[in-house]
Amino acid sequence: MDRVLLLRSMMLIRAFEAALLRNPGHGFQLLSSGEEAVAVGLCAALTADDQLLTSGRSIGPALARGLDPGRVLAELLGKSAGPCQGKGGRGHIAEPSAGFFGAHAVVGGNLTIAAGVALALQSLGSKAIVACLFGDGACGGGALHETLNIAALWKLPLVLVCDNNRYSVSTPRAAALAPEYLSDIAKPFGVPGQTVDGMDVMAVLEAARGFVELARSGGGPSFLECVSFRFSSHSTATRDTRTPAELDAARSHCPIELMAGRLAAEGLLAPDVRAELEHDVAEAVSAAASFAEASPFPDPSEALSDVA
Amino acid sequence: MEKEQVIYQLVVPGPIEDVEELRVLEWHGDVNQEFLVDELIVELETHKAIVEVRAGQRGFLRQVLGEAGSWEKIGKPLALLSDASDEAIPASLDGVAPLLAAFEVM
Amino acid sequence: MSREPQTRVVKLFFREAIARALREEMARDERIVILGQDVGSFGGSYKEFLGLYKQFGAARVRDTPVAEASMVGVGAGAAAAGLRPIVSITYMDFLMLGLDPLVNYAAKARYKTGGQLRVPLIVKTTAGAKGQGVAHSQCLEAWLMSVPGLKVVAPSTPADAYGLMKSALRESGPVVYVDHKRLFPMAGEMPEDEQITPFGLAKYLRRGADVTIATYSHMTQVALAAAEALAAEGVSCEIIDLRSLAPLDLATVCDSAGRTGALLTLEEGQIVCGVGAEIAFRVREKLGGAVRIDRVGALAAPVSSNPVLEAACVPDSARVARAIRGLLAA
Repeated sequence: MDRVLLLRSMMLIRAFEAALLRNPGHGFQLLSSGEEAVAVGLCAALTADDQLLTSGRSIGPALARGLDPGRVLAELLGKSAGPCQGKGGRGHIAEPSAGFFGAHAVVGGNLTIAAGVALALQSLGSKAIVACLFGDGACGGGALHETLNIAALWKLPLVLVCDNNRYSVSTPRAAALAPEYLSDIAKPFGVPGQTVDGMDVMAVLEAARGFVELARSGGGPSFLECVSFRFSSHSTATRDTRTPAELDAARSHCPIELMAGRLAAEGLLAPDVRAELEHDVAEAVSAAASFAEASPFPDPSEALSDVA
Repeated sequence: MEKEQVIYQLVVPGPIEDVEELRVLEWHGDVNQEFLVDELIVELETHKAIVEVRAGQRGFLRQVLGEAGSWEKIGKPLALLSDASDEAIPASLDGVAPLLAAFEVM
Repeated sequence: MSREPQTRVVKLFFREAIARALREEMARDERIVILGQDVGSFGGSYKEFLGLYKQFGAARVRDTPVAEASMVGVGAGAAAAGLRPIVSITYMDFLMLGLDPLVNYAAKARYKTGGQLRVPLIVKTTAGAKGQGVAHSQCLEAWLMSVPGLKVVAPSTPADAYGLMKSALRESGPVVYVDHKRLFPMAGEMPEDEQITPFGLAKYLRRGADVTIATYSHMTQVALAAAEALAAEGVSCEIIDLRSLAPLDLATVCDSAGRTGALLTLEEGQIVCGVGAEIAFRVREKLGGAVRIDRVGALAAPVSSNPVLEAACVPDSARVARAIRGLLAA
């Protein structure tokens, strides 16, 4: 695993979202700045045939999974060149042929779907596994518990990954969820669980790799909790309820700086290489913007196509 | 003095809740076999249950009117039985008395 | 000249008609799996899955926990990823627990992915009042008819239970297949040869000249009984079994109502925003004001397990006959 590529992937997500945020015309978006290490670490543990399902906060995971940034942006903006022809839009990006089965913007709504995808892969004799990424907000609902139960019973090749960014919109995790560690929720089902530092891409990757291997070898499901910090508010249209001090504290745990510092200390990231990466992702984001902006909106008649 | 009735007809028993029509599942004996009281004569099938029909009096199975697989409504004749194995079979079922029988929906 | 070949028929219980369709299709298409409570060795709450577990094994006929929400979700996900699941929801009332994955995912996945995914999911469920009370008696088909991307069918005979299930198992999108508790005691004939009932095609159950009754599922029996009673009074009823609610065979309903000049819609569920309301509007749209229309359904009340109150709530043939007399007198 080229750790510089992991860094680049996180930098791309950050730059992509920063550009999205700079343009108010891009409207409501669910950003994941601060949470890049969770998406990138998880995706680095998957092979091309595996499938990833996510919550609506899906920009980071889609890019980390290798989807083309221009097409992702086109989808977010509702343009025809998006993988869903602009119909899914933010919250519902999908490209199953690229191993990104898709986002689903109902909180917890993709958990049982992911178990179904895992059942299909298992039944069809595939070696591929399924990872499902969801927020701490999905841990209070029944879907997670039902999914853990059936995945444990049927030994489904399913890795459940909770990106615990500590808030459901404005509600702190402690006010909404009783368990001390969210990975403890898996325990009664006999499903192995682990809580890792979600700001450390290598910690996420290492834990995810173990669980992916477990699923691939027929060992069944697992639950990985990655504790992260969301650097901006719930969405571009939601005010942040955290104090400036809290936000500063959160941002001091930057997953990109953590990884860059580590690589630099090991002599793997000279200042000019870092600058080159910055330039590189800026180019990619700029190319994505040009591509997406050049794509047309769908014809209104598309409202009735692919319905049934 | 000769007994008046020696031939009996076994009919589809009832009433059974929700059931009008049943399917004959299996006869538990051949023609001319003797059935003692409480012995299983035939099993019938409803949409959700098996109905066991047992002899309420001793008798010889003389003629099967509803073969396995046939559909019969409640009250319709399923078979003729008689006290003696050589009793003549009547041409018509008119006036043929019902066989005492017990049934249980399983 | 050669003689027409005789069509051989078989007679099956309603449950056996469902099992027959599943057995034939499961043998033909190994992607079909059954998920649900008590569907395995128990054979289903109405024995409608009897024999399938033995024939196809535990991997394809799966007993599930009592967890309708996740089972519909698992079915939807598995369908999107290449299986053809049929999820059994024992009581239609409990389908409410599974409406999120059914409506938000299964019905929309094709659209929202721009055609990248298809969700050939069947939810098979049993509706209707039969002494089981307020949360085990409801007919909720009308709710589902308004969901874009969802098909809804409701057989009234063993032949259509078989034929519609065969069609459902060959659909490319999600289908809700609604049977009824009071239909299970039925037995009926169908061709021995494979037969498919297409979606969107209604059927005449009785021809008549004075009034059209458009109905489906168990209410076809109620309509037939009402028609018998009215025939004695010299009123001739035409009865249409809709069979498929989405898509709806409006052409057949309009054809009949246009001839008789009077239309009664009959459903066991609620009439507010009901199946009949939709049909009435669409018939009026097509035929204008020439057709007199009325609708009959349950009273605007829960369906009690109390036998007196249940009977008072759901339509019976007397209520249907009364409505028709009123319609024709208007």
